[in-house]
Amino acid sequence: MRFLFKSIRKHGAVITSFVIGGFAATVLSVVAAVLVEETGDDEFCGICHEMDVYCETWVTSSHGTGNKGIEVANCVDCHLPHTDPVRYILFKAKKGIHDTSAHIRGHMPGGISRLEAREEYTFESGCLKCHKELVAPGISLKAINAHRDYKNGETTKTCITCHTDVGHGDLKAVLMEQADAQETHSGGKG
Amino acid sequence: MKTRQWFTLCAAVALISGGARELMAQEAEVVELALAGTRELVVKRGHTPEAAKCVECHSKVTPGVVEGWRDSRMAHVGVSCFDCHAVKKSSPMASQCTGVKGTETFISPMVSPKTCARCHPSEVEEFSKSGHARLASAPVVEKEKFQTLMYKLEGGEFMHPGKPGSTASRSTGCQQCHGTETELGPDNKPINDTWPGGVGQRYPDGGVGNCTVCHTRHMFSIAEARKPEACASCHLGPDHPDIEVYLSSKHGQVFLTHGEDWKWDSPPDAWEPGDYKAPTCATCHMSGIGELKTTHNVNERLHWDLVHAKSVVRSGERGDGEAGRELMKKVCKNCHGPTHTGSFMGQLDKAVDLYNEYYDGAEKMRIELAEKGLLKEDRWKDGFMELHYYLWHHTGRRARHGAAMNGPDYAHWHGFFQIFQVYKDMEEIYKYRLKHGKIEELSTVMNSGPE
Repeated sequence: MRFLFKSIRKHGAVITSFVIGGFAATVLSVVAAVLVEETGDDEFCGICHEMDVYCETWVTSSHGTGNKGIEVANCVDCHLPHTDPVRYILFKAKKGIHDTSAHIRGHMPGGISRLEAREEYTFESGCLKCHKELVAPGISLKAINAHRDYKNGETTKTCITCHTDVGHGDLKAVLMEQADAQETHSGGKG
Repeated sequence: MKTRQWFTLCAAVALISGGARELMAQEAEVVELALAGTRELVVKRGHTPEAAKCVECHSKVTPGVVEGWRDSRMAHVGVSCFDCHAVKKSSPMASQCTGVKGTETFISPMVSPKTCARCHPSEVEEFSKSGHARLASAPVVEKEKFQTLMYKLEGGEFMHPGKPGSTASRSTGCQQCHGTETELGPDNKPINDTWPGGVGQRYPDGGVGNCTVCHTRHMFSIAEARKPEACASCHLGPDHPDIEVYLSSKHGQVFLTHGEDWKWDSPPDAWEPGDYKAPTCATCHMSGIGELKTTHNVNERLHWDLVHAKSVVRSGERGDGEAGRELMKKVCKNCHGPTHTGSFMGQLDKAVDLYNEYYDGAEKMRIELAEKGLLKEDRWKDGFMELHYYLWHHTGRRARHGAAMNGPDYAHWHGFFQIFQVYKDMEEIYKYRLKHGKIEELSTVMNSGPE
């Protein structure tokens, strides 16, 4: 006991800094975790008006709140990788910087021109986080073939190659309508 | 009334009503027969209301389509019209039939392999790497030489220069086997006779290929695709008589004699010797036989390129010839020992060498004539060039394909026997032109084509 007090007295400064440091780290971690959590849903992503159409189409899609009244998967569930936490955070930082900078510079998302590149913006690890059983009992007979090939690694197709509309429904149709409306509005279509 | 009168009356009534009954019965039979053709189907199990509506309506509107589907495996697993024909509103092919007008359902009569890949991804991936996909429609869609043939020559533009040639030859011929680029009208329906097309058909959604060439709609039968007839609608005729070669081969002889008793519908990769006693086209080029896995890449088991002017070992997008030969050996060994297989492949190699020697000789003459300005500008008016074409495209292919698939009559009479004659004729024209320093005034040619 005496030894303990002695060593506390001797290394007091170090220990104090450890305690304070530890406390600060805990607080910061919690804050960071809350921030990470808070900056991953439609409320946050939808702050930027160029995301409006993506938020609106998500609501009515099979993963959105409009479908069954509950949120099934939110922005980051699909648009960030879920293989490991480090990669997740790195991607989040990278995408966050990219999107913020694009917003400030007034760049708009690619829209229709980028739809075919959907696999660059979505991550299968997100799908697989929830959809663990691809050939589960009760699966539609028609889906067995494709899901089995996927599971056995006999196809290079990803979830997103086939399930193109699970996140935003027929996004292309909506974007096309918007483009038409804009053209009519600006008198382009006489 | 007397008894006798009563009797007569009753008999008359009985006769009349009997006749009427018979008439009615006959009529009922006719109605029933008619109904058998336009069966009204009501399907509830395994189909969404929208999907059921398609089946129910089309069982009356296009009964032939629904009858085919009813006999298919697709129907058994609950894949119906809707699964393949419904498209997103934003699809470039989206249109609406009268049955879905005013709803949020959009459909397309065209079904691209992208749709098939949703359930059969590996089959479509393999197919896409094969000569049956982009390479098949490349001539029609991408090659200028082919466009000249389709429109300027066969399409008759040369008879009235300035006016566009007819598309009839393309749409009724070339396109039916090779496929073409599907063009759409303002209502997103196909126009300019560009649909339907053959095995390399290109669709507006980016899909390339046509699965229903071999698995014809709407039964999509695996048994059908395994029969030589599936290949025969394109692999025939003077330039590549593959079905003729096959049917006259020993494999074909066994198929023609016993094929009716064979089992054609075993599951993929489980269709093995025993189900059949001799291979069909599909067995060697695609099926999962012995240790081999089923493939939809028809180039995978090929060694030589026997299609183009000069035969070389396949490489690049046309396959891997070295690997191909090893795979084909694994097919053969199910029924043949290594001596037989080795000797057969050796024969083919010699046939290819012989053909190449003829072709190289012909090319040498052609190049010399071209350099000396002794070829006509229009190759179809130049006897030498006409023969040059028939040498490789018709008789040269017949010899090579005959040798590759054991069709002796095609290797010999339709093949090398004609090759040497064509070659000698070319030599004579070549010598004449060199000797006189000019092109002969009349073409001596048009003896060489088909047969």
